[in-house]
Amino acid sequence: MLASRFWYVFLGLLVGVATFLLFLATSMYNRAGARAMGEALSSDSQVVNWYLSNDARQRSAQLIQFGIDADIARSLVKANDNDQKVPDEAREKAMTALKKVNAGMPTDQAFDAVFLVDQHGRVVAHLGYEQASGNENFELGGYPVVADALRGYIRDDTLVLDRIYRVVARPVEADTSQMPAGAIVGARILDDRFARELSSRTGAAIAFYTSGARVSSGAPETFNSAQLDQIVGDFASLEGDEEYQSKGRSKVRTIAGMVGVQYSKLPGEAWKLGAGYAVAREPKAVAGPFGFFKTADDQDKANANVALAVAVALGAALIGIGFSLLEHTRPIHNFRLEVQKLAKGEIDQLQPSRFHGAFRKIASDLNDGVDKILAKGGGPRRGPADLKEVLGDLPAEPQMSAFSFPGEHMPAVPSSGSGPHTNPVVTPKGLPTVPVNPRLPKPPGRNASNLDSTMEAQGDVLSSASPMSGSWGAEAPELADWRAVYQDFVALKQQCGESTDGFTYEKFEATLTRSRDNLMNRHGANRVKFSVYVKEGKAALKATPLKD
Amino acid sequence: MSTFWTRLSPRWGVGACASLLALLFTSASADAARVKGRLEGFRLLRNPVWAEAKDSANHGFSFREPVPTVRAEFRRPFPHIPKELCVALLAATPQPAQKPVLVRVGGGRTTPVTIVVPPGTRLTFQNTDPFKHRLYGVGIKTFLPAEQGQGAAREWTPAAPGVYEIRDEAAPSLRMWIVAEPHLASIAYPSLKGEFSVNVEQPGEYTLQAFFAGKKVGDAVPVKVDAADVDLRAAIRVMDQKTADAEEKADAEKAAKAPKAQDAK
Repeated sequence: MLASRFWYVFLGLLVGVATFLLFLATSMYNRAGARAMGEALSSDSQVVNWYLSNDARQRSAQLIQFGIDADIARSLVKANDNDQKVPDEAREKAMTALKKVNAGMPTDQAFDAVFLVDQHGRVVAHLGYEQASGNENFELGGYPVVADALRGYIRDDTLVLDRIYRVVARPVEADTSQMPAGAIVGARILDDRFARELSSRTGAAIAFYTSGARVSSGAPETFNSAQLDQIVGDFASLEGDEEYQSKGRSKVRTIAGMVGVQYSKLPGEAWKLGAGYAVAREPKAVAGPFGFFKTADDQDKANANVALAVAVALGAALIGIGFSLLEHTRPIHNFRLEVQKLAKGEIDQLQPSRFHGAFRKIASDLNDGVDKILAKGGGPRRGPADLKEVLGDLPAEPQMSAFSFPGEHMPAVPSSGSGPHTNPVVTPKGLPTVPVNPRLPKPPGRNASNLDSTMEAQGDVLSSASPMSGSWGAEAPELADWRAVYQDFVALKQQCGESTDGFTYEKFEATLTRSRDNLMNRHGANRVKFSVYVKEGKAALKATPLKD
Repeated sequence: MSTFWTRLSPRWGVGACASLLALLFTSASADAARVKGRLEGFRLLRNPVWAEAKDSANHGFSFREPVPTVRAEFRRPFPHIPKELCVALLAATPQPAQKPVLVRVGGGRTTPVTIVVPPGTRLTFQNTDPFKHRLYGVGIKTFLPAEQGQGAAREWTPAAPGVYEIRDEAAPSLRMWIVAEPHLASIAYPSLKGEFSVNVEQPGEYTLQAFFAGKKVGDAVPVKVDAADVDLRAAIRVMDQKTADAEEKADAEKAAKAPKAQDAK
């Protein structure tokens, strides 16, 4: 059983190692997922930053169409000439020109709002910013982006007004020898539409925020956009992020273990106002070793080497079964076979050397037990019942002669005898003999020394004997009995259809003599009484040692 | 003389506009004399907000490129002097507080940006933008941040002489300087060309001084005013090239030492 036990220990260790590896893999997977999420978030943040900058550049190029429009330039010159009030005529012309140019803008490059600003910073005309409609004092000249445009620069900015605006501005020139006549300012609102557009082009989940509140968001379909609401609760601790305050981009932060976020400040005035954008991703993590089953998709499952796993499992099972066959089933089978041989009498004792391990010890102990039982004169008889066992100690020879055997009262047999020779053996009262249960205790008062023994007629022992009888002269009483027994035995054999060729009395006597001596030596009996009976359809002899 | 910054919002109505116009200490009376003059070198001045904004270290933009067709002399953050350069006429003796002055808040700045008033003059800040502002005085306990909706106004009076700076929590580009000068008699703002005209109510000897971003710029010019207008033939130089170059160089060196905004990202 050593191999089996080793296999169990090996399997136990294997399961332990597999469990440890699963937890290790879980930790590594989660760590790798967190690292990948961090890298992805940084990438997202960069992509969004580049997109915002590139989008502003592309849109600033669209502003050229406004800058080269002659009507716009002329209306600005007229506005500049009056430092008290923008002439209505200039406003009307500017508005008409703005609408005309704006109508020709590509849809994907169009602005949400366009402002035409004169040298004084006053808004001469605007489109898309209805909040300022009718406000003659509406101006934008104080913002650096507009001031720069009025001084010959193209640049972008992010303004936080009533909403967050991405703004680009460029000068409008009427006379290149003079200061620019004014500036054209284009603005895009960072609303949900912009965020969705940005998300679709960058693949990032993004939310814009200002003043501690999310103002817009957009996310891919695979991302739960409700997760973006959680950033609101994170703003308070964001103030303590040194990288965010100094570099404008926070470290990757995980909110409630459900969403990874990186915050970035928007360039421009929004930077100082704490406005920015957050990119978010859901972390790739599993709750435990069994979380892999939930996380794995069809592709993962397809990549798993199921055949190898099954082969390992089958191999382990087969090895285990093999060990159990070798160390359990096969020894038991062998032992059973040997014991069966012992039971059939094919062998006298078990051979411990043919067994291994515990079976060797069992066989040895069994042999010792058999030897001890035999040394005590044998155990309870397991053969057919006989009168002695049923009736107790049989009386001495004279009494035996007075005993009535069923065969004696039956119709005459070819040769009469004094011993039992019929089957079944019956009790003196004519009742059938109850088979003796070997487990029953011996009858009380039974003399242990009056043991009986059964000797069956074996072909190899007796068959060679001649049926011829010897002389019947003056013989000892024992020999006379033996002759009677011989006659009964021959008669019974003939009744049973057995051959009696060569079955001589001399051989019969020699056999009885050898048996008698043997039994007398073994049991210390004074004499041995032989009788005949039928066993399994054959004639058999029964020897009863007597001490009287 | 430029007095457009005293105009009222349409929300205040015509009556209020008329009454506030009457309060202007710069408004001319029929028999008042005027001091006319011209400023020079104002394009060498630098608006501190815009100069700061062009520094990439301040993350004010993701790109900023000059337009080649605009001459280089214009590509400087010089101030819009009709709002930012205040020409003050200072009397020899302290002057009483003036009538309330309206300051418009809108467009990323105030109008005017720099103003000189006698102490005790009440200033009314009106929001002309269609969104909120949160003005506050830098280090001024009597002028704490408070939200102002569209058209809303709040008042504040400089009690003592000095220079006061006003900022806006909602608009970092908004910075205003209030110079409380006891001897102030009158102020005026120049045109884009630098020409100005200051009204004088009482004849006497005055000093003409330009203020920019809360500081005096250029030399003080003594002026003697009688019944007739005074026309200053010599232009008042508010900044010379050498000083401007030195400031420009200092700023460039400072910007070179600071990490670039793009690098920081």
